[in-house]
Amino acid sequence: MRLHPLTSLAAAGSTAVVTTAAASWPLSVAVMGAALAVSVRVGTARRLLPAAAVVLLPLGLSLLMVHGLFFPEGRTVLGQWGPARVTMEGLAFAFERAAQLGAVVLALLVFSFSVSVPDLVAALSARGVHGRFAFVLASTLTLLPAIAARVERIRQAQESRGLVIRPGLLHRAAAFRLQAVPLVLSLIEDAGTRTAALESRGFSNPGPRTSYREVPDSGRQRVLRAVLAVSAGAAVAARLWLSRAGG
Amino acid sequence: MAGTGQTIRTSRPVLSAGIRSFTFHGDAAPALEAVDLQVVPGTLTAVLGPSGSGKSTLGRLLADWLPPEGAGTLEGFLELAGTRLQFRGREDPRINPAEWGRHVGFVPQDPAAVLSTVRSTVAEELAFSLENAAMERPAMKAAVEHSAALLKLTELLDRNPAGLSGGQLRRLAIGCAIISGPEVLIMDEPFASLDSAGAADLALLVEDLVRRGTAVVVLSQVVDAPLLAAETWIVLARGTVTASGPPVELLGQGQLPSGIRSSGSGPAAEPGVHQPAKAPDTVPRAPVLELRGVSFDYRPANRTGRRRRALREATGSDRRGHGVLSGIDLKVRPGEIVAVTGPNAAGKSTLLRHVNGLLRPTAGSVLVHGTDITGAPAGETARSVGLLFQQPRDQLFERTVLREVQFGLDRLFHPGEAAARALAALSAVGLAAAAPRHPAELPASGQRLLALATVLARKPSVLALDEPTVALDGDGLALLDAAVRSAAGEGAAVVLVTHDLDYARATAHRVVTLDGGRLNG
Repeated sequence: MRLHPLTSLAAAGSTAVVTTAAASWPLSVAVMGAALAVSVRVGTARRLLPAAAVVLLPLGLSLLMVHGLFFPEGRTVLGQWGPARVTMEGLAFAFERAAQLGAVVLALLVFSFSVSVPDLVAALSARGVHGRFAFVLASTLTLLPAIAARVERIRQAQESRGLVIRPGLLHRAAAFRLQAVPLVLSLIEDAGTRTAALESRGFSNPGPRTSYREVPDSGRQRVLRAVLAVSAGAAVAARLWLSRAGG
Repeated sequence: MAGTGQTIRTSRPVLSAGIRSFTFHGDAAPALEAVDLQVVPGTLTAVLGPSGSGKSTLGRLLADWLPPEGAGTLEGFLELAGTRLQFRGREDPRINPAEWGRHVGFVPQDPAAVLSTVRSTVAEELAFSLENAAMERPAMKAAVEHSAALLKLTELLDRNPAGLSGGQLRRLAIGCAIISGPEVLIMDEPFASLDSAGAADLALLVEDLVRRGTAVVVLSQVVDAPLLAAETWIVLARGTVTASGPPVELLGQGQLPSGIRSSGSGPAAEPGVHQPAKAPDTVPRAPVLELRGVSFDYRPANRTGRRRRALREATGSDRRGHGVLSGIDLKVRPGEIVAVTGPNAAGKSTLLRHVNGLLRPTAGSVLVHGTDITGAPAGETARSVGLLFQQPRDQLFERTVLREVQFGLDRLFHPGEAAARALAALSAVGLAAAAPRHPAELPASGQRLLALATVLARKPSVLALDEPTVALDGDGLALLDAAVRSAAGEGAAVVLVTHDLDYARATAHRVVTLDGGRLNG
């Protein structure tokens, strides 16, 4: 069965909230494992892993630097260089935080890589989210391919008139400065016509709107979404109550 | 019945306009002056005029794509369904574009401009205006299916609009305009770039809409055959109506200006003049351009995924997986003009992109002056091969007309010569006076000629022209014809791709047909 985009959004969101509230590394590691398994299963792992690495590696390293080397409560010293002390407790804390963060990032990335954007836009506009917001959301995802196609067109036009671009990313990047100005100007010019077209097709209608795209939903998924939302709320409440009782 | 606004109708017009003048902000001279027209339900009206006569401006004003309050100063009135809006140039009424759009559908010259760009299938793109009007889904589905059937889009409903070919895109744009059942449909150059089958389908659709009571207005610089059936012709020249009345009367009185051409005709010239003095075959010379067993498809192995998608969108090709070209052999000698014809989406543009190295064959080789260009950057091949793109907007990217022609010339010639060549190329296409203007300000025909000038200025030994006649008015066509002949006369090999068989026969020494990926003839 295909998941409703709001169900997957609720699942990713509540997983992130519960993992953060629980702050337990075995749970975080389990969530990371589960997220990776889901990603492999739906076939997004090849795109997801580089994105996750870009986000998580710098964050993980900075956690290690801050907490691993300078943890005031650290008792078990493993090594010391001047003011920097590597302590067992510091490393454990850094690992715990990194795992927590990893779980949250992976859960949200799995969602954003697997959700069908047209479905999400349709689901949101069916729930009264304003058309303009849905348009902006969809545009952010369709704009990049459109810009890529436009750059390609301009580049082809320039190459046909003798601009020599040797193969390779660096040469391409160096040539991009010649395409940047025409790109921006053509996008602005396009925007003018596009506005007239959108307006005449009723894009700014203030009233309600419907959606052609059908996004299958079921009672069971609605219940599941409610359960996910409640459990996220409960996890936050429990966390607050525990910290107040503890402190 | 020459003159303006003298048409007497028994039926009440649904849309009428009395434009005393319309002037764009920042312009001294009005773009339109003394234009009166009435559009009656169930009729076809053709607004004919050469490029730059103000047709598109008129069409966009009537469709409120050019809101009078924002774009310029309108003096006169627009009347839609009995409501008259009077414009005086200040404190003017504001038009609600959505409300206007429900009554007046518009298909611009560039059909891609209609797309919302945020809908992932043709069906959703069609439904966009219905969604905004909050139509219930079952009714919406029925409307989408009905419009798709009318426009032969049923097979394409689940496709991404970004990957459609030019002809398919035009059908989608028309579908978007008519789906909410407007009383008036205005189309700007709808027959341009359609092959004969596509044009015949569109003519049938227009006939059908007119029978159902729609008032159809076609803006055109070509007297396409279906326009002969129009009730009224309105002839525009330099922004004003020079004649109007039934086609028979106007044709009889010879009231069409020279810029308007009739469908499928080449420029008016004696058949003998068409042939270059020396037929190239009499002196066998080594071919300048040779294609040996060229095959091509958009295979995953050929390009990486994202580049390939961008490429497909950039080239407008909609063929996936199966061979676009298979085993193409072609030799073109110096001074020879070869025309490649074939239906829309046959792969003609793809073939031309191999000639200048923008695309690399998956098998076979392309030789220019006996050297294999496969593997050489397209920019180097451009020294000897000039390509005229199908869409001027794909070819033009600079800020002024002169800069446009000069781009890349400095790599071939020293600065003084580059400037002289650029000006000479502009004069050859009659655009010398437009040198400081922005390319987008030129009318469609002017943009096409500018694109041609950018190619001619380089004096290439191979000229590859993609649908050169599209968007050219009569005068433009004559300039193109002269340019092609003079290039061939100086020894250039010319390959031109066209869906216009008459033009191909009139111009080329040899006509070959591309169909199903193979070259015949």
